[in-house]
Amino acid sequence: MSAKRIPAGAAPPARGIHRDHVTRRWLAIAGVVVTAVYLVPVYWMLVTSLKTGDSVFRVPPDLIPLPPTIEPYVHAVFGDADIARGLTNSAIIAVGTTFLTLALALPAAYGLAKFRLRGLGVVLMLMLVVQMVPSINLALPMFVLFSSMGLVNSYAGLIIANCALAVPLAVTILRPYFLTVPAEVIEAAKVDGCNELTSFARVALPISTPGVITVAVISFLGAWGEFVFALSLATSEHIQPITIVLAEFTNQVGIRWNDLMAVSAVVALPVIAAFVLLQRYIVAGLTDGATKT
Amino acid sequence: MTAAAPVHVEIPPGLARPGRRGRRARRLLAPALFVLPAVVFVGATVVYPLLYSVLQSFFDVGLREVVQGGARWAGLDNYVDQFGRSRFWYSFFISIVYAAGSVVLTFAAGLGLALLLRRAFRGRNVLRALILIAWVLPTVVSANVWRWLLDGSYGLLNAALRAVGLLEGDLFWLGRPVTAIAAVVVATAWSFAPFAMILLSAGLEGISRTLYEAARIDGASPWQQFRYITRPQLRPVALAALLLIFIYTFKTFDTIFLMTAGGPGGATTTLPVYAYNEAFEFSRFDTAAVATTVLMVVPIVLSVAYFRTLRKENA
Repeated sequence: MSAKRIPAGAAPPARGIHRDHVTRRWLAIAGVVVTAVYLVPVYWMLVTSLKTGDSVFRVPPDLIPLPPTIEPYVHAVFGDADIARGLTNSAIIAVGTTFLTLALALPAAYGLAKFRLRGLGVVLMLMLVVQMVPSINLALPMFVLFSSMGLVNSYAGLIIANCALAVPLAVTILRPYFLTVPAEVIEAAKVDGCNELTSFARVALPISTPGVITVAVISFLGAWGEFVFALSLATSEHIQPITIVLAEFTNQVGIRWNDLMAVSAVVALPVIAAFVLLQRYIVAGLTDGATKT
Repeated sequence: MTAAAPVHVEIPPGLARPGRRGRRARRLLAPALFVLPAVVFVGATVVYPLLYSVLQSFFDVGLREVVQGGARWAGLDNYVDQFGRSRFWYSFFISIVYAAGSVVLTFAAGLGLALLLRRAFRGRNVLRALILIAWVLPTVVSANVWRWLLDGSYGLLNAALRAVGLLEGDLFWLGRPVTAIAAVVVATAWSFAPFAMILLSAGLEGISRTLYEAARIDGASPWQQFRYITRPQLRPVALAALLLIFIYTFKTFDTIFLMTAGGPGGATTTLPVYAYNEAFEFSRFDTAAVATTVLMVVPIVLSVAYFRTLRKENA
């Protein structure tokens, strides 16, 4: 995409090209080194998660775990009922958040893209500004309001809280996708007997699949890693997501760092995996848009 | 899909053969059914709680009032009380220090990364994606990893410092006020710098190449090119990025809460942590509301100032 460099006619003399290649190679090497340094925390998390309880406290520390062990994963992740319950709760909350967000944001983004609405600017501004609101500013009043509604310590309460910030974000991301759906396609669908709803569901949605997947993944990951709402609205152990369980874990005396890092790695895994997929979709969406216009 | 509400668009009974008024009503009905559920939801879950919280700051709200209701009107008492406390102003000050430090470090690191990965080379996008991992990592994960890296006895950082002879024995970074703030700033910047990198990379892409070519023909050095082309051209994007980073760091709660819980001795108790403690440690939801209201006002004031300078510059 950005490979458009000096056009052939304006090619600099041969020496310049050679020098350019050299600087480029050095830039690539510097880029790799800096990235490696930047990811040391991630590396250290994985290394620690593969160590035994004794070797974690070796001074100086082993930079590679020799021999590596999966014992922390077996022990802390799959052998610990609290962790397992936390992971389950997180999955329930994240899936619920994803579905509710899609249910609300998909039609809204479509409506904001395709209908001429009075107050469009106000709604778009609202969706944008709302994303800047600190979670703690919502978590505290929500605790008070939810207390009187019986929503504290419930999946529903946590899902609603997560959606409060996920829906505006989703609408903001999705609207541009629906804007690129040509009006003629929608018109053609209506000529063929579709109404507003079916032309949205059968025509606009399939065309916008990359956007839908992107938003689904972002909503899921947001809820999966969410901490503030969970801390304020889930005081009962039965409902607490993994983020809270993990935080409690560290408050115990004598932290078992290898176990902690193993659980952290498991929490990070879906995020990193989904991120790899998400990248592909973003790239696909961009190239599709570029080739089809 | 589970979108239940818009189903009603399918020929409402009274409008089966719409007259002029009926058609008009239908034309307004469809958009409303698409958009309204989300708008109402955001209104109910964001706007209403925010207003409710501001209202609470004018009432006397403890745990009993939360459970039973019947809070007493307190006027400005909560504000007078909080603005008269040094603890409040201390945490306001800590908030500013933390946000300022995080903004500077995040921006510098993000700009460095953006410049480093500006020129296309094979694998550049992979490197960008790898760096972005730091941004998408759940805060619980990154905060815990930082705690472990900074551990006084067994942490990797201290091991490295000992190896090069800069440190003997232990140093508990999170146990002393100044190093604790520095530590949370570094951890915050580590998470946010990739985000800044993306914003600034987009800004750099937007600078016309012909500017650099012209400068090179005139014999400008790389530094001169940066000083006289990149810097002024990037300014609008850089300002927007700075504002965004400030908004995001000023409200940060989880990183600090998880790394230091506001300690040692309140040295990293920023306003969000302060508000949380007021509410859940001391069951004072009214003074917590004062803190969160102030937490909202600062970014709003800054944003207004930002848009005013924008307008003035464009005029």
